[in-house]
Amino acid sequence: MSDTFDLPGGSMASRPVHFIWLLDCSGSMGVNGKIAELNFAIREAVPEMQSAARSNPGATLLVRAVSFASGASWHIDEPTPVDQFTWEDLHTYGGTDMGAAFRLAAGALQTPPMPQRALPPVLALVSDGQPTDDWRAGLRAVDDTPWGRRAVRVALAIGDDADKSMLKEFLANPELEPLQAKNPRQLAAAIRWMSTAVKAASTPKADGAGPVQAPPPVALDKGEGEDPIW
Amino acid sequence: MTGVVAPAEGWELLEGAVKGAAKKYSQDRCAARRLADGRAVVLAVADGHGSAPHFRSDLGARWAVDAFLACAGEFARAAVDHDDPDRPDDDSHWWETLADLRAEARRLPRLVTHRWLQRATLHDANAPAHGRPWRGTEGPDLTAYGTTLVGAVLTRRLLVCWQLGDGDVVVLDAAGTPYTPLYTGPDLGDETDSLCAPEAWHRARCHWQPLTSEGPSGLLLSTDGLSKSFTDHQGFLDFAAGVHGRAHELGMPAVQNRLPEWLAHAAQFSGDDTTLVGAFEATGPAGPRCDEPPRT
Repeated sequence: MSDTFDLPGGSMASRPVHFIWLLDCSGSMGVNGKIAELNFAIREAVPEMQSAARSNPGATLLVRAVSFASGASWHIDEPTPVDQFTWEDLHTYGGTDMGAAFRLAAGALQTPPMPQRALPPVLALVSDGQPTDDWRAGLRAVDDTPWGRRAVRVALAIGDDADKSMLKEFLANPELEPLQAKNPRQLAAAIRWMSTAVKAASTPKADGAGPVQAPPPVALDKGEGEDPIW
Repeated sequence: MTGVVAPAEGWELLEGAVKGAAKKYSQDRCAARRLADGRAVVLAVADGHGSAPHFRSDLGARWAVDAFLACAGEFARAAVDHDDPDRPDDDSHWWETLADLRAEARRLPRLVTHRWLQRATLHDANAPAHGRPWRGTEGPDLTAYGTTLVGAVLTRRLLVCWQLGDGDVVVLDAAGTPYTPLYTGPDLGDETDSLCAPEAWHRARCHWQPLTSEGPSGLLLSTDGLSKSFTDHQGFLDFAAGVHGRAHELGMPAVQNRLPEWLAHAAQFSGDDTTLVGAFEATGPAGPRCDEPPRT
């Protein structure tokens, strides 16, 4: 095969997919080891994420994370290429200021800093409780950005106390339900599935067909043999 | 005098398509035809959406190209019928018929959509996409067949391009400078208009260009997999100009031979099926000028 030096035109590159974890670090996440299991699950899901990225060569996956409790902050603020992504443990520290996390994400979804040439971002929300601030205002801020409206959204409720109706509203698609994890194995399976949402972000769709759908949820029956502990 | 300059040796056609990286098969379809004894060229590309809800979009893309060839073929023949090259000093008839042709050009998206809907509806009736026959008053859900469509007709006096959904049309003027008459700015993500949308013809865009002086020296149509592989729009325009330049420099057969390699390289970056068809002023011996049977 001949070289491509005679290829006409400008430079080529795959398009970025920005993946943002939005993670609940409220005090209740410290009960029954939820935060430790979440840290473990995300760390264990990194190879799955890297594999999903490799199977989508048209996308360059960049990962970062927001933690929220009393306020919100970037846990990982640099969009990090998934091949270089490593997980630093989260720690619990207060309430459930999810609205603050949404506002932080909304700032990152503006254009700029988000480039116009990109695939839809992924917003992956994990929570075990009720928001303690004005989460609707935060969600509106996300929806007011062009990329926020187009984002692939996935949500995970940990335990029975999570506000599932709120998480469903975040998903912005009446056909989708948040995932639910009631024990560590279900949590690990759900996080693995959420980590592969880059596949949905790199899938074309007809305009007006509603928000981009994540892949069909994995069966979380791997944890069925275990009692719910959350 | 008309001032119209026809390509001395007619048009040479270019056609290439590659499957997206990591895809099982391509959902793109295309066609490039000479009609009316080589006096008209019809080009079309269609990009089936390809994702799970659009699992029959390869069929949808094929039928979109078929429907366009049928409708645009009639349009092209009408255009050359009203343009008598043996009477270059009497072009009053041409200008009288131009209004009719423009009306036909406006109607064409609706005709193409109706043909496509008929074909997809028939297929869905025989093999329901959702497992059971459609019942209702609003028509079947043809989301499974969703596709874009970009097409063009080029004669010595007229260039008309139509576009529904994403994809690109690049016209190269007489000097070889590229321009994109239907470009609406960079897309955000991969959302696109589709033939499967209700009353899709309302979303079609049309470029109408009677050629009163030197006409274009080239025309390229491509699916979005090509332009989205470039880091910017200028890089894509440079590609079009480069293909045109190489066709003049090396000849069309050489470009046709290299095209799959170029498209495959682009598909590595877009990850998408990548298809391009084109017509350039012939620089060598004229190609076949007779009608060709439809093929996609």
